[in-house]
Amino acid sequence: MAMALEGVRILDLTQVWAGPTCMKLLGDMGAQVIKIESYKRMDTVRGEPNARPGGAGIYPDDNPGVRPWNRTGHYNDRNRSKLDICLDLTEPRGVETFKRLVAVSDVVGESFRVGVMERFGLSYQELKKVNPDIIMISLSSQGATGPERSYGSFGATLEQTAGIASFTGYLGGNPTTSGTFFPDPVVAVLGAGSIVAALRHRNRTGQGMYIDLSQRETTTNIIGEAVLDYTMNGRAWEPMGNRHRVYAPQGVYRCQGDDMWIAVTVKSDAQWAALCGVMGEPALAHDPRYADVLGRHQHHAEIDVLIEEWTQARDAFEAMRTLQQAGVPAGVALKGNQLLENPHLNARKFWDIVEHPEAGTHPYLSRPFLHSKTPGATRMPAPLLGQHTEMVLREIARLSEAEIRELAELGITSNIPIGAPEEG
Amino acid sequence: MADLPRPLTDLKVLDLSEGVAGPFCTKLMGAMGADVLKVERPGQGDIARSMPPFFHDAPHPEGSGLFLYLNTNKRSITLNLEEPAGRAICRRLAAWADVLIEDFRPGAMDTWGLGYADLEQINPRLVYTSISDFGQTGPYRDYEGSDIVGLALGGLLYITGESDKPPLRMGGQPAQYFTGLSAFTGALIAVHYQEATGQGQQVDAAMMDGIAVAQMYSALTYAYKKENRGRIQDFAPMFRARDGFVGVMYRQQNWEDFCHLIGRPELVEDPRFHDTTARRANMQELNAIVGEWIKDQPKAELYHTAQAMRMPFGYICSAADLLESPQYQARGYFIQVDHPATGPLTYPGMPLRMGEIPWDITRAPLLGEHNEAVYCGQLGYSKEDLGRLRGVGVI
Repeated sequence: MAMALEGVRILDLTQVWAGPTCMKLLGDMGAQVIKIESYKRMDTVRGEPNARPGGAGIYPDDNPGVRPWNRTGHYNDRNRSKLDICLDLTEPRGVETFKRLVAVSDVVGESFRVGVMERFGLSYQELKKVNPDIIMISLSSQGATGPERSYGSFGATLEQTAGIASFTGYLGGNPTTSGTFFPDPVVAVLGAGSIVAALRHRNRTGQGMYIDLSQRETTTNIIGEAVLDYTMNGRAWEPMGNRHRVYAPQGVYRCQGDDMWIAVTVKSDAQWAALCGVMGEPALAHDPRYADVLGRHQHHAEIDVLIEEWTQARDAFEAMRTLQQAGVPAGVALKGNQLLENPHLNARKFWDIVEHPEAGTHPYLSRPFLHSKTPGATRMPAPLLGQHTEMVLREIARLSEAEIRELAELGITSNIPIGAPEEG
Repeated sequence: MADLPRPLTDLKVLDLSEGVAGPFCTKLMGAMGADVLKVERPGQGDIARSMPPFFHDAPHPEGSGLFLYLNTNKRSITLNLEEPAGRAICRRLAAWADVLIEDFRPGAMDTWGLGYADLEQINPRLVYTSISDFGQTGPYRDYEGSDIVGLALGGLLYITGESDKPPLRMGGQPAQYFTGLSAFTGALIAVHYQEATGQGQQVDAAMMDGIAVAQMYSALTYAYKKENRGRIQDFAPMFRARDGFVGVMYRQQNWEDFCHLIGRPELVEDPRFHDTTARRANMQELNAIVGEWIKDQPKAELYHTAQAMRMPFGYICSAADLLESPQYQARGYFIQVDHPATGPLTYPGMPLRMGEIPWDITRAPLLGEHNEAVYCGQLGYSKEDLGRLRGVGVI
């Protein structure tokens, strides 16, 4: 099968979530992605080198194993379809070796704190000296400029500082965050698209570029209308629970079973009538209190009670099918196992089943887009730490065997992280 | 400067989408230099034109903040695809385009003779991007969706909120925005392949798939540990400060500094909290101590103090806080956009800088503003033809 990004080579210095996911998407679509880590400083999602069961990391069957850094779910998910080399960029020989890879690559991506690449001597200006049409992308918290450029963040704090958390929360309650790091995948997908746009620009003009992406700004971009409501009307959005600003009713209702819930949105009077019919209360559709959207907003709390009386006596999936057959938007709040078993996602072959040499075989999330001629795929499992160091140095950086040996002897390359337990 | 080639200069995009997802996708393409031709239904236009917030709260098709924000850098024509003559015009435009974006109910374009199989005959290079709630295939294909339904079936809804309350949606329309980003990147990857090989293809961007990718924790946790992640707020607990809310990240590398910041140096070695595992086990106790201290602190000052000590705190920013942010101001993130219906207004700008190329953000089009330029200038109809087409409801 053809790969859309075949022939594109990316050096991936990113860590944690957003950057690695960005580069993974491009790797799945055919780019050759070479991740660069260091035994002194692995990607932090590889976890503690001496992790024990019961900790915070996600390990197969909760067992970190002998080399925990090769077994963490988060790392293994976000770094599929990549090669991995260990190179100490705090040493001149490491930097020199990295530059040999830059000379034969198309893209360099990084997500360090602003200033770190300069300290390595690997700013865009320096990379350009090695490869004049290189594309470099920095996925930083606040952007590469401005008084707060060196600030750090995680997805959860970005939801706060970018504005979205100010109107996420239960009705009348405190602001809150998503329970995941939602800004990271947002940044990942935008970053991937902008890299491809920059490749097009280079193909047409011969010019590379530096892409300065701010994760905080990216997150504010997905709440544009909330910003405009403020700039147009002075209105600050507040948490409104599960209700919709326009449609009513909308809510999340308890179903039979353990912590099972269904989300329902009524977008029109016709859908309201359909919902009333499904609930066996067709007369409600003609009740003047609920006849139009304004009435349904005004009486939202009592409508919520009516809907939940119907849903809580039902299986969530059965309720969803019944509502959907009547044309009412409804969906079960799926848990992890229910996602994996979901007939729709499975019919779409959404899961990539990947065998990893140290973590075993698991289903992983695939991609948020499906191409008819160039469908992506997990082309290889997430790499073991430094798994491809020698191969990449030999075949891509074109180092001699003696040079490769020397780098290992100097401690520039190693695949045993600092702090790893001694093997017996 | 405006003549500098942009990343997507000369990319011709036929945008048949409306609402949030498709328009967000093509807004980004337009800002990067693509020529985006937006096709709207005669009369009502894009559904976002009828959605709040409205300028001065006065509903008007040219005054929706949602529409104005999502449709910068586009031209607008009206065209009725329900009419055979409208479909014929659409086919001519599909022959012109490099990329087509559509978000009709799956199968609708096929019944109009405008499906990928039809348009591929006219334009084999076409990148035909279909946006939908559940995708072009699968048992839920014809289900009705909404943002919250996408969050639910993508697995994000279940993990947001508190364990003793119902699952909670993120505010705004995150599922639809994410779908727009998926379509943007998916389409551009297909453009890369198109420019290399001359071949087009169909790209299927579905909200449920996108949210499943975005939430990530649930499926991964179950696949690895046979455990369902619940609704737990363990990443950045939020505390009420003097004038708002502050989010705190407890990190081992900052623990000592953190204890000093809150004036409790004795906690550095306290076995209840001294490492990540201990803090997780005694989180409530720790949060109580921290909460008691934070309640008298001013949110923004505390945020800057902590960041200066390399602690990645957050604080809840309202829209007003964002507009006042020295960081956003220094980067010129917010931009002024003038529009005949609203006058100049402040919008979020582009979240990235691409090389030396300055963004050139142009206001959203009026409904059908470019009818004459496109129908007469580009497609060769006379003004008389234009009147006839309008008369029979085609444009």
